Amino acid sequence: MSEIISKIKSVRWQQMMFILLMALLVVGTDSCKSTGKLSKKDRLAQIEAAKKQLQPIISGASTLSYEEQKRIVGEVMDKNLNDPVLNSMIVDAQQKLKSLLGEQTQQHAQKVDEARAKLYDILLNKDNKSADELEKEVRAIKALNLKESEIDELIGRAEKKIADMRASGGGANLPVKSQLENSFNSIVTSSQNGDLSGADNTIQKTLQLFSSGDAPVLIIISREGSIVDYDKPTTIQRYLNLLKDTKANRNNIDAIMTDATGKIKGLDLIKK
Amino acid sequence: MNRIISAIILVAMFAGANIAIAQDNLSPQRKQAIDSLALEKVRDLSKYISIIGDKSTPWSDAQRVIERAVELFMENSEMGVSRKNSPDVSYYKVREYFDRLMQLNYNKVKIDWYKIQYVSDLVRQPDGTYVGVITIYQRFQGYNKENGLVYEDTTKKDITVYVKRKETQIGGRLIGFWDVMLGDIRVKETK
Repeated sequence: MSEIISKIKSVRWQQMMFILLMALLVVGTDSCKSTGKLSKKDRLAQIEAAKKQLQPIISGASTLSYEEQKRIVGEVMDKNLNDPVLNSMIVDAQQKLKSLLGEQTQQHAQKVDEARAKLYDILLNKDNKSADELEKEVRAIKALNLKESEIDELIGRAEKKIADMRASGGGANLPVKSQLENSFNSIVTSSQNGDLSGADNTIQKTLQLFSSGDAPVLIIISREGSIVDYDKPTTIQRYLNLLKDTKANRNNIDAIMTDATGKIKGLDLIKK
Repeated sequence: MNRIISAIILVAMFAGANIAIAQDNLSPQRKQAIDSLALEKVRDLSKYISIIGDKSTPWSDAQRVIERAVELFMENSEMGVSRKNSPDVSYYKVREYFDRLMQLNYNKVKIDWYKIQYVSDLVRQPDGTYVGVITIYQRFQGYNKENGLVYEDTTKKDITVYVKRKETQIGGRLIGFWDVMLGDIRVKETK
């Protein structure tokens, strides 16, 4: 008995307590760790929920963005529910996402192409649109948010052109073609009303749009295939006076040629 | 070598002949276009005559319009002038006619042309010029301060028109245009 007592006394209790504490800690940690196993009921519920999430992606009915759909498929995969039907659905969803990405890339490329073409049209402004009209078009392209350096550069150039058009002032907000048509009609109306000084004032203002009063004006009387017949060439000064004298505007504007300074250096008209 | 040159000359002649034929055989649409163009020049003249005769037209404007009106005519063209109840018809060079018209001894002059139409269609001549005759009716009214309308007549006049296709270079472009020139204006009848 005394032997047992002495042995007990000889035990290093401090060490024992430490070992015991460590053992408890290990056991405790182990018991807190998930086994990764779900109850059968929970697993089936999760599989059904996952299927419901994947179904609209596979059918293409999902209204979510590509990124959001991709995240959902990733989350379902991470759950590792190991269901053959669900696994098959995951493969289908991945393929759907792949084709969706392809479509989106194609659509983006198409939008970029369209925006590029539109921006070149704006820069050329063949239709003689006003600064306001051009700005509206540029704004619509910016709203597409294409995030393409080439498009951004073209947008910058278009915005500069619009700013330059505005800076040039003198009603440049109106397309040159409209300014000319308005002038021609105004001269005729003034003359019809006997307001000759009004007609003369409009003639002087209109001449300022031209590089000189001698800028040639050609009037197309017939266009048949490659054969174009003109009236005898005249000058803008004479043509404006003709409008005043005859009190009639019998021609439409066919083409406007401008010089480097933006002044009209030639005008083609065509019989109405 | 000579054969090659001959062949080139033949081809060039053939091509030239083709262009000439293309101009000779105007399509109805092109013919209509030059018909209308000639009528339009006569209408322009009627507006010019009205402006020149109008006493309210500023002198500078009248001079400018006379220049434009004279340019419508071939050189040495004449204008016939008649009076009601007189068989005499006087012919003046067009510039002289316009100058006299501007100085007529009335306080107010109204001149209108109407029924402007072809009396003889444009017909191609051997030199390529198209020649036709357009007839017009001119109503002349002269007023003075005291008595108002003191003279009026209506005269039927025939205008010979010449239309020829020409070419010119403008801004590096070769332009084919129809040059319409008016000839003598003959009095046919005055009432």
